[in-house]
Amino acid sequence: MIRVAFVGKGGAGKSTIAGTFARLLARRGQPVLALDSDPMPGLPYSLGVGVDDHPIPDDVVVAGPEGGPRWVLRPGLDAAAIVDQYAAICPDGVRYLQFGNLWGHVVRLQQAQHAWSQVVEELDRDSWHLVGDLPGGTRQAMFGWARYADTVCVVVEPTVKSTHTARRLLSLSGARWGPARLVLVVNKVRNGSDAARVSERLGLEAAAVVPHDGTAGRADRRGAAPLDAAPDGALAQAVDALVDRVVSLYGLGEEVA
Amino acid sequence: MNDDATTVVADLEAGIGTLTRLASASVDATVVVVEPTLRSIDVARRAVAVADEQRQGLVVVVANKVGDDEDRARIDEAFAGRTLVVVPDDPAVDTADRLGVSPVDHEPGAPAVAALESLVEALGFAS
Repeated sequence: MIRVAFVGKGGAGKSTIAGTFARLLARRGQPVLALDSDPMPGLPYSLGVGVDDHPIPDDVVVAGPEGGPRWVLRPGLDAAAIVDQYAAICPDGVRYLQFGNLWGHVVRLQQAQHAWSQVVEELDRDSWHLVGDLPGGTRQAMFGWARYADTVCVVVEPTVKSTHTARRLLSLSGARWGPARLVLVVNKVRNGSDAARVSERLGLEAAAVVPHDGTAGRADRRGAAPLDAAPDGALAQAVDALVDRVVSLYGLGEEVA
Repeated sequence: MNDDATTVVADLEAGIGTLTRLASASVDATVVVVEPTLRSIDVARRAVAVADEQRQGLVVVVANKVGDDEDRARIDEAFAGRTLVVVPDDPAVDTADRLGVSPVDHEPGAPAVAALESLVEALGFAS
């Protein structure tokens, strides 16, 4: 099964592309679980699901054994049961698991974060394709929050600041828990030289080039899913091609058609 | 730093994590920058609430990349009663970002740069 995570600088379009990717993969008849480790979640908007706060409840964990993890899943609950009970149901059948939405200090999310991490670690590899969205920047990625993914998509806008962040994220390949594959997705491309300039700066060919899509962008502002607002638009087409590309990396071309 | 002659301008990490960790009343003003998207407005509302709660000085909301009346209405509704500075969606800023230069150097008279003059004034500095 595909395990992909989207990282990049804030505003690069990770959530927009991740949500669209998850739905387009699900439209190929595949079971898709969208994972959100951003305490300021943007993924529900691009998935087109009307949820905002959708945390895993604190009471799914209990204090862990002495010398072990601080919290562990409550006896009798396993990863599959938590996905079944607490992952929101989205358009195209995608399921969405959020560790929580931060309204105050981060300590308030600790139990839900532990639960989320344990679920992701223990999920049966054959049950779900995983599509993850991380917060903007490098912090979570560098601390291993995308370790469930064997493909990490670095999303970059054709700006110097976004490219700088992407360069740091591409160094994830050297991490002990680094993904098997790092692929580059250039977003908000306005002309032919944008993608070429980013590729040249990063020394890496883009696996996907996503054009600036005005209709999708306006939908994004309203909080609507770009895929619903512009189902055949430039963004949807480019992400569809990215799905094909990632599927081919896993040798699943015939199974995921 | 205890120097009345120096103005410190700090750019915090995206989100509200750093803001929640600042000691109470450690700044004179907090500028909350928001794009006219629902998700950005959602985060900015939380930032405003944290800044108020932690008494982080004057709170000014800067609405960036405002492109049309619909954008403006969304911002006005979310931040009614707040000190608000509106910065238009400006291709000059986009170009400067792509070139990796400051918008002020790239096009000093750009509409977005001009709009930020009112932020300087809102913070109590005469232009």
